[in-house]
Parts: sequence; C-alpha cells; structure tokens
Amino acid sequence: MRHYVIIGSGPGGIAACEAIRRHDASGEIVVIGDEPYGYYSRPGLAYLLTGEISEKNLFPFSQEDYRHLGSKFLHGRANRIQPADHTVIVQNHTTHPVVYDRLLIATGSTAMRISNPGCELEGVVKLDNLDDARRIIKLARKAKTALVVGGGITALEIVEGLVSRGVKVHYFLRGDRYWSNVLDETESRVIEERLVDEGVHIHFHTELAEIIGNRGRVAGVKTTKGEMLKCDLVAVAIGVRPRKELAEASGLKTDRGVVVNDALQTSDADIFAAGDVAQVYDPLTGKSILDTLWAPARDQGYVAGLNMAGQTTFFHKEPAFNVTRLACLTTTIIGAVGRGDDPDLLGIARGDSETFRQLPDAIAAQSNFDVNRLRVLVGTSTLIGGIVMGDQTLSKAIQVIVANRVDITPIRQHLLTPGVPLGDLIADFWTRWKTTDASKQS
Amino acid sequence: MPALKNILKQENTRREVLVTSYVVPDAARCVQCGICSFNCPIGIDVRRHAWRGEPVKDSRCLTCGECVARCPRGVLRFERTNLFEPEKLDFRGLLEAAQQSLLVEHH
Repeated sequence: MRHYVIIGSGPGGIAACEAIRRHDASGEIVVIGDEPYGYYSRPGLAYLLTGEISEKNLFPFSQEDYRHLGSKFLHGRANRIQPADHTVIVQNHTTHPVVYDRLLIATGSTAMRISNPGCELEGVVKLDNLDDARRIIKLARKAKTALVVGGGITALEIVEGLVSRGVKVHYFLRGDRYWSNVLDETESRVIEERLVDEGVHIHFHTELAEIIGNRGRVAGVKTTKGEMLKCDLVAVAIGVRPRKELAEASGLKTDRGVVVNDALQTSDADIFAAGDVAQVYDPLTGKSILDTLWAPARDQGYVAGLNMAGQTTFFHKEPAFNVTRLACLTTTIIGAVGRGDDPDLLGIARGDSETFRQLPDAIAAQSNFDVNRLRVLVGTSTLIGGIVMGDQTLSKAIQVIVANRVDITPIRQHLLTPGVPLGDLIADFWTRWKTTDASKQS
Repeated sequence: MPALKNILKQENTRREVLVTSYVVPDAARCVQCGICSFNCPIGIDVRRHAWRGEPVKDSRCLTCGECVARCPRGVLRFERTNLFEPEKLDFRGLLEAAQQSLLVEHH
C-alpha cells in the first residue's frame, strides 16, 4: 500500500486527493493542515464579509465526500520534511513522524505584514484565512471608522465587507489610482467612482506612517505627510508571498517559490508542489512564474496527484485568467493586460498573476459602454490579453482566442481603429472562428 | 412599434431559454464560494455541479435563474439543450445552440 501525504488543504491539496483516489483505490492519503477547518473556499471569505453567505456555506465538501475520498485529515503544522527517510515531522505529533512514499507541498501563500510602528496593536487585521474573516466581522460590530491600505482584489474585498457592515471606510492609495499595474486609467476610475458612490473615502498619494494606539487598541493613524486620522480598525492587504519555508528548510530547490518541473516534481523526485507555493514554467513567456489563483492551484494539484499515483502527466500552463468582483462589477482578466509596478503592492496580489503585468509589444484597443467595459491587448498577430468588466458575454471568447493564439490578422487593423465597436467585432470574429478554424483543430 | 416588438422578442427569447435550457457552469471561473447553492430555493448543490463541470440536470431545477444571477464571477449561464427535439441532441447541436444563445444575449 502506498502512503500519500499532502501538506495543505486548499484546492490544490483536495484536487490531488481526487486524482490519487481515481487511480489508487487502496493507498493511504493523509492531508496535513495547520488550520483546523480543512478545505474551505478562501475566495468565499469576501462574501462572508459582505454577509452574502454564512460560514457553513464556505465548506464545499460534506463528511460524506471525505469518506468517499478516503483521506485522513491531520491538524498540525508540518515543521520539517526528511527526504532521506521519507518522513514529515508535524508539530504536536513529533514522536510519530508521518511516513510518505509520495509527498505534495501545497502550502499556499500568506499575507505580507507591515512593519510600521503600531502594527501589533489590536484592531490591525489582514484577510488571509477564516480566523481573519471572523476577527474582521467581530471588530466591525463595534468599529465606527476603518482604514484600509493596500491594493488589488483583497483590499477591495475588505473595503466592501466593511461598507456592507456599516463601517465608515477610508482607503489609502500610495499612487494616483487603484490597481495601476493591471487596470488602465479609465478602468481604475470606474472602480474608484463606484467606491465613492458606496461612501468610501479614497485618499490618493497617501501612505501610512504609524498606527496610534490607546490601551493596546487602534485609535488612529498618522500618514507620512503627518496628517492624522481617527479610526478603530486598520486592514492591510499589501500582497501575499508563497509559503516556501518548509521546502527551504528541507533542502528542496526554491527560488521565489518551490521550483518544479513540468510534472510538478521538486528537486526531490518523490516530492511534488502545486498551487500558490509552486513556481511553474510558463511556455508563453519562457519564464517560471508564480500564480495566486484558484483554478491553476486546482489544476496543478490534480496533475501532481496523477503523477504521485504513477500516471505520468505534464502540466500545461494556460494564460493567466481570473474573474473577480471589483466594486460590485464582475471583471475578467485574461493574459497580459497591464504594465509596471503598483506602489500599493509589495508582492503579488491574490487573484493576480504575474503574466498580467508582462506587456510585450502590444497596443491597447478599447471600447466603452457605461459600466460594461472591454479592453484587449493586440499583439502582432494575436490577442495577448483582455479585460472584461460588466457584461461577461465575450470573456470566454477572448479567453479562447488568447489561449489558442488565434491569428487575428483579418481584424487586427479594425481592432486598432479608434471608436470601433470592439464587442461586435470580436463577437463576429469569434463566431466565424468557431464554425471554421476551431472544428479543424478538433 | 419596433420598440414594443423588440421587448416582446426579448421576453419570448427569455422564456424560451428558461424552458429549454439547463444551468451550465464554467468550472474554470468558479472558486467554490457557495453563493449559488445558498440561494437555490430548492436546495440543489449547484456548487458541486460547478466543481465537476456538469450541467445542473436535476429534474427539480426550476431554472429560476437565482444562481445564474447571483454568482459573483459569472460562472453560470443558461445553455439550450434541444430537449424537445431529441433527434438534434448531439454535441455539435448543443454547441451551436449555445453560440446562438450567446449571440441573442449579446444583441
């Protein structure tokens, strides 16, 4: 009987269990997790904050599902892997190291902390896990005013959660607009206007210097320009970093994340890595990159699980693709859409992917329909990225066109003509392509 | 009265879609938040269908559209199935019907 050990109970870990069980009915699967809750929807925390779902809705799997998977959950932190004798030492279980034949590291990523004076005060929060969400909800009951600092999707999730709980929200942005390395200026403005309509006070060119406490609790903040703001909650979302310490301490090859080959194998042949912690080769850019997205984590976990069960499979990285809700506006981000660095993010933001920021020789073509907005990045003969806000009719089409590097030469000039009805043009092209070229491919 | 005609046509399309369609997920967009399952008035676990990438072929489904409308990430959509024309129930037919409904939605 083979022993499979999976460190991490996110979508990567759970997908690996499913893949293993599909090919190995009798092997033992142990999932080690340092949160007591096991597998839950981390992106769903945003909707727990807004009150759209209750806590029990966060858990996609029932007890029956776990029985069906036949996996055992072990609550504890994996402290060290000993590749030579194939064991994992788990905190609080140190006398009984867990034995593995194949191991998966799917430890995910963790929120970066601020180091400003006062960052240890009660009332300084992040949104990384269920405990954090609970803390925010509890504090929001008494809080009157909150400050949110940071960028990307998580910052807005906190902003909207607090707004929906009746807390007055101030939002500090270091630069002159929101998420400047992924959104273009108009898109940033659309989001900012919607936030202002919801009653959020956005402070541009404003940076947190110090959090001021009173009896150990947040009482206010001071900006780098010396301005003071009274508040009783400070939420920080300045990006995440891969949790690679375990792999490092165990002598595995790491770079920004845990380095894996296209079978998601680390430098040790019996140890695999998947999800936010894995640094995966991207054939589109020729670089090996990090993602902090749900779908790649699940796909990578599944491929790693297949390989662990002896079914040799390679992971093919798709162009980055994410859907999110920004200020109540459904937004799909596909491939490369932005450039440069966002001063509000130190690392990579959740729901972001590094390929979103790689802008080769491309020109943006765009089309406005009030809040429905479409932007595509036109390369020399292909679309290399797109962003769809509001109406999502075309997001699948753009995703397929980008992923398949469809030759868009017939419409390239039209796409770049100012004022062209971009949506219609792409819809027509997509329909023609589906009925002709797509069938040739399949 | 082109405006009224348009409205009637839209309404007709909407009803046709509701009667002849399933709720179909795009698994790649889904993050398993559970809003769909939470809002289903008859308790179908729509989220599980989205995880597996399967259409909601539950006979109890009212095609009320609550899950489709509330999904924050646009995972769910109605897709025609040609349920009432079984001879056309093939993959290509399904694909074309889906395309058709996409176009209808778009215009």
